[in-house]
Amino acid sequence: MSEGLAVLLAIFVALMLLDAPIAFVIGIATVMAAWALGYGDVLISIARDMGNGLDSFALLAIPFFILAGDLMGAGGLAGRLIDFAAVFLGRFRGGLAMVNTLTCMLFGAISGSAAAAVSSVGGTLIPEMNRKGYPKDFNIALTATAATTGLLIPPSNVMIVYAVVASNVSISALFIAGVIPGIVIGLLIMGVALIVSRKNGYGGEMEHVAGEVKRSALSCTWRALPSLLLVVFVLGGILTGWFTPTEASAVAVLWAFLLAVVIYREVPVKMLPRLAIGSARTTGIVMLLVAVSQAMSSLLTEEQVPQFVSEALLGFSSNPLMILLTINIILLVVGTFMDMTPAVLVFTPIFLPVAIGIGIDPVHFGMILIANLCIGLCTPPVGTCLFLGCSVGKSNIAKVSWAMLPFYAAMFIGLILITYWPALSLWLPKLLGVME
Amino acid sequence: MWNHTKRITAISLGWVSIAVFLALTVDVLLGVFSRKILGDQVRWTEELARFLLVWISFLGGAIAYLDDKHLGVDLLVDRMHPSARRVARIVTHGMVFAFALFVMGVGGTQLVIDRFDSGQVLPALLINKAWFYLAVPVSGYVISLFALGNVIYLLTGGHDIENAESSEEGVAS
Repeated sequence: MSEGLAVLLAIFVALMLLDAPIAFVIGIATVMAAWALGYGDVLISIARDMGNGLDSFALLAIPFFILAGDLMGAGGLAGRLIDFAAVFLGRFRGGLAMVNTLTCMLFGAISGSAAAAVSSVGGTLIPEMNRKGYPKDFNIALTATAATTGLLIPPSNVMIVYAVVASNVSISALFIAGVIPGIVIGLLIMGVALIVSRKNGYGGEMEHVAGEVKRSALSCTWRALPSLLLVVFVLGGILTGWFTPTEASAVAVLWAFLLAVVIYREVPVKMLPRLAIGSARTTGIVMLLVAVSQAMSSLLTEEQVPQFVSEALLGFSSNPLMILLTINIILLVVGTFMDMTPAVLVFTPIFLPVAIGIGIDPVHFGMILIANLCIGLCTPPVGTCLFLGCSVGKSNIAKVSWAMLPFYAAMFIGLILITYWPALSLWLPKLLGVME
Repeated sequence: MWNHTKRITAISLGWVSIAVFLALTVDVLLGVFSRKILGDQVRWTEELARFLLVWISFLGGAIAYLDDKHLGVDLLVDRMHPSARRVARIVTHGMVFAFALFVMGVGGTQLVIDRFDSGQVLPALLINKAWFYLAVPVSGYVISLFALGNVIYLLTGGHDIENAESSEEGVAS
């Protein structure tokens, strides 16, 4: 067994460092390991695992949420959300930092993409904050970290990916479970932003962003409401049992289409084919990863790797707190060089059995996993949000990484709270009856 | 000539994926509508949705390769000497070629043939599951063809690969 796995690991690392597409890295490593372990019919069985891996009604929510997010994001969503956040939070010093955080949380939830939140919200608010006397690197760091909260606040594609690999975890429960952790991390980021801004006198004496919004609070809310309703429809539909999460995602596409093309009229019909191809491509990127990871995890399960890791971790310590700490540290390291979706796909089958073994609820573990990997999106050497933030805000990674430090602290505190306080994740879904 | 072929392929795949996306949305909404309004869910909607999902995923995966958008870790390669980077690119595209051709293409074809031989049909759609699996070899052969093109381009002295970049642009224009 160990030779085969050594083959898998060595090929995996070598190819990944050469910038091979990760989906293919996972595929090739799986083939090589299966050969080294003496399996027969490797080619056909991996092809079958790939096909079967995607044959799931639950996974269908992924292309729909991607398409809905692209439709929503293509228009003036960012601008409307900024106005909405500004009339409420822009009334005092440091307010713009809070406006940024809230907008990122809302945009991330509606569009389902942290990267889209960084580029859309950051594209407008980073220059605006620069003008108002906030330092550039601080603004980029704030936007990049705040954008990740959208991955915890539902709807969230990475949760669907987790639910499918974890098997038997309810997507509805995960969605509802993410609400409070997402808001908590958002509030922690706001708190840190406020402390740093006030201490260093960012934003000047007379900042009053709300006064600059040309509309009344009512009008701003009214304009942002249809977009916010998307989240309400999805969660409401799931909670009332009207639709499954997949059906909710299709309804979200319909709603996003009506908003973009009919109500706001911000997306011309001529642009739709182009937008849909972009969504199909994003779907392909995620789903090819899901497909090959299914093949890999069936090999890992066959070789009893999860049991092996479980025994190793339990041999190291029998204290659940220590085991969770160890898992968190490993995931933090993984997160620095692996993107979120592949990391969830590769490490869920390995760590989830350990977590269940020490009495962690799979829904709770999902929150730990995602909150943890959110930090990885903001750390070098590989951090999608950090990199995108640097390119949108025109700075370099070294400088922004310094400005990141207080925000890392906020995310880290959030992670510890989520890890060691299960009720933070589980209270709401239990209250609303989506889990026992 | 080669870039032209790449472009045409990307655009064609793009249009097919638009059609699949549209069919998917209508299909799932029809499922909700028939259950909630007509009180009886149409039997084939879920099966059809899963069928279309497999197809859009593998077609989208091929488009992503043509546009060079698959996720990778470029931290080391970006710092390499251009000639070393070229070697790295030959290795990685060669690897994509091998996987797409042998696993997705050849393995997938065998899978489809086995399925047709077994003769089992899906309960609601009444088609063979081989039609699901067909997406795997189709995507595999397309990816391997263009991966081979990339490898040849690099071996004959090319440096950085021009991606199709056009699956969207092409449709818009």
